[in-house]
Amino acid sequence: MNYLIELLVSGLAVGAVYGLIAMSFAIIFKATGLLNFAQGEMGMITAYVAFSIASATDGNPWLTAAGAIVFSVLFALAVERIVIRPMVDEPILARIMTTIGLAVIFRSGTMLVWDALPHDMGLAAGSALVDLGGVRVRGAQIGVVVALAVAVAAMLAFFRYSRFGIAMRAVASDDATARLMGVKTARVQQAAWGAAAVMSGIAGALFAIAWELSPSLYALGLKSFPATILGGLDSVVGSAFGGVVIGITENLVGGYLSPGLKEVAGFVIIIAILMVRPYGLFGEKRIERL
Amino acid sequence: MRSGFYKQTIAEHLALTDSWTQRAWIAVALAALATAPFVLDTYLLTLVTLMMITAVGGIGLNILTGWTGLISLGQTGFMVLGAYGYAIPVETWGWDPLAGFLLAGLVPAAASVLVGIPSLRLTGLYLAITTLASAFIVVHLVLEFPGLTNGASGIFVNRPTVLGWTVFTDQDLFRLVAIFLVLTILGALNLRRSRIGRAWFAIRDKDDAARVMGVDLRTYKLYAFVASSFVVGLSGALYGIFLSFVTVDGFPFLLSIEALAMLIVGGMGSIAGAVLGAVFLVGLPEVVSMVFSAFGDSARALLSTGAHEVKGVLYGLVIIGFLRLQPEGLMGLWRDAQRVWTLWPLRY
Repeated sequence: MNYLIELLVSGLAVGAVYGLIAMSFAIIFKATGLLNFAQGEMGMITAYVAFSIASATDGNPWLTAAGAIVFSVLFALAVERIVIRPMVDEPILARIMTTIGLAVIFRSGTMLVWDALPHDMGLAAGSALVDLGGVRVRGAQIGVVVALAVAVAAMLAFFRYSRFGIAMRAVASDDATARLMGVKTARVQQAAWGAAAVMSGIAGALFAIAWELSPSLYALGLKSFPATILGGLDSVVGSAFGGVVIGITENLVGGYLSPGLKEVAGFVIIIAILMVRPYGLFGEKRIERL
Repeated sequence: MRSGFYKQTIAEHLALTDSWTQRAWIAVALAALATAPFVLDTYLLTLVTLMMITAVGGIGLNILTGWTGLISLGQTGFMVLGAYGYAIPVETWGWDPLAGFLLAGLVPAAASVLVGIPSLRLTGLYLAITTLASAFIVVHLVLEFPGLTNGASGIFVNRPTVLGWTVFTDQDLFRLVAIFLVLTILGALNLRRSRIGRAWFAIRDKDDAARVMGVDLRTYKLYAFVASSFVVGLSGALYGIFLSFVTVDGFPFLLSIEALAMLIVGGMGSIAGAVLGAVFLVGLPEVVSMVFSAFGDSARALLSTGAHEVKGVLYGLVIIGFLRLQPEGLMGLWRDAQRVWTLWPLRY
């Protein structure tokens, strides 16, 4: 029984990481119609920058968090402005390829700038063990679940009450009409990139604190695809739910069936979802079938 | 004066070559392939062999991405399937290499049916996601069945004996790969001018219009995926023979990116473009390393420790740079040059 609870708890923590990155995919897809294949890599770079700040400030958690968040937003805005925006009128194939190109550059660049070895983040508060009714978890694992909950609440409120959130929904449903109604589409898309960068950056940094920091962190992006597909590509909150489901499923498969299957469980789920319900659990049924 | 190159009859569209100039170029290319093993030194010979293997894979992906307009990130997975589809029967069971090459195509083709049926009935970018997923599933399947695949330690692959001809030296390997490249090009060109090929172009250009013309989208997309995976599998088998070792580590995910970059660099949808792209991308790291070594020891040290990473950054930059500045690729540059040559001193 205790084994099951341990699997569930650590699955929830990994799932929250996937959920945050999946929300980043979904918000960019919603605002721009683009699937950003470089999202996991951007989270990884934020984690590495957090690591550098933490080493420079002797593990000051507040400076690290603030620095990493500011960096992630600025970085995403720069990428959006320099690489993504000029391609806006190109065919979707070219735009997706651009993000794939970015992903490779970031992945390889990280290994050149830092190194390929695993590191400890050096934040004592994050990696301290906390006893939760017999199950010991790391502080950062609790942190990432809290971050997911905060992000979901923020997104719900944002889309329901904020003018900007409503503008984003307008852009998602029809960007030409939204522009005619005076919505600044470019501004909305920048905001989406910024929000996505913060969410995936937090996910990457907390994952690095709770487990370890290594260049294989980019795989978090790949493993969050199943979450977005399950929740619905255009459903930000659904993606968060998808992430938790995928994280827990993965851990249960790894714990009871085989560790090798754990790595691919999510990808098998993608193919299964696309057969049964291609628009995901909460997505709009806009996705066309042939 | 001629204002362009127009094809006016169906027969002209169906012809494999359209002019004597083109036939002359083909003769030159074949002659170059035939004489290369006698002229080139080992380093260049190996490099060109690698370029040709990469080109075979690029032509395979071109069927799917260039002609049918579907993105695949599963190049690595299908190459792994092809390599093991060749290595297991030939090396473990002692089958004839020809049967091995056939299986190297058939195994990935069968896998593509499995992946394709759920993903191809959706529009948009879903194939990119499912092929990405399949690439990872394949690698883990290989590691999960060590009895068949020898797990992480891989399978040693000898150079084959095909129809009594023992491929032994680097020159022989070059010829074997050249034969495969020529056969692949011929096969792809013939597919392109068939009913199926025209249906693929119709789907790429406008799928609704294609459907109105009676093209069954699901079936023809699946044909494209199967044909593409077959060819990619062959390139995987050749790559395995080239490395003389088939392991999961020998086929990094970067190969998928390399294949897409190849098409973008060469120019989408053209076989000559895929070949040019392969030459460019395989040659690029070599040229860069020459440039780097001119900068002294520290640059050379960076390149020797981070060769894979430098390659990754280069591929990414090449993809983004070509998409932004020259979306038609090298073939587009060539066409522009031809136009300038014919029309000069007028601009159009």
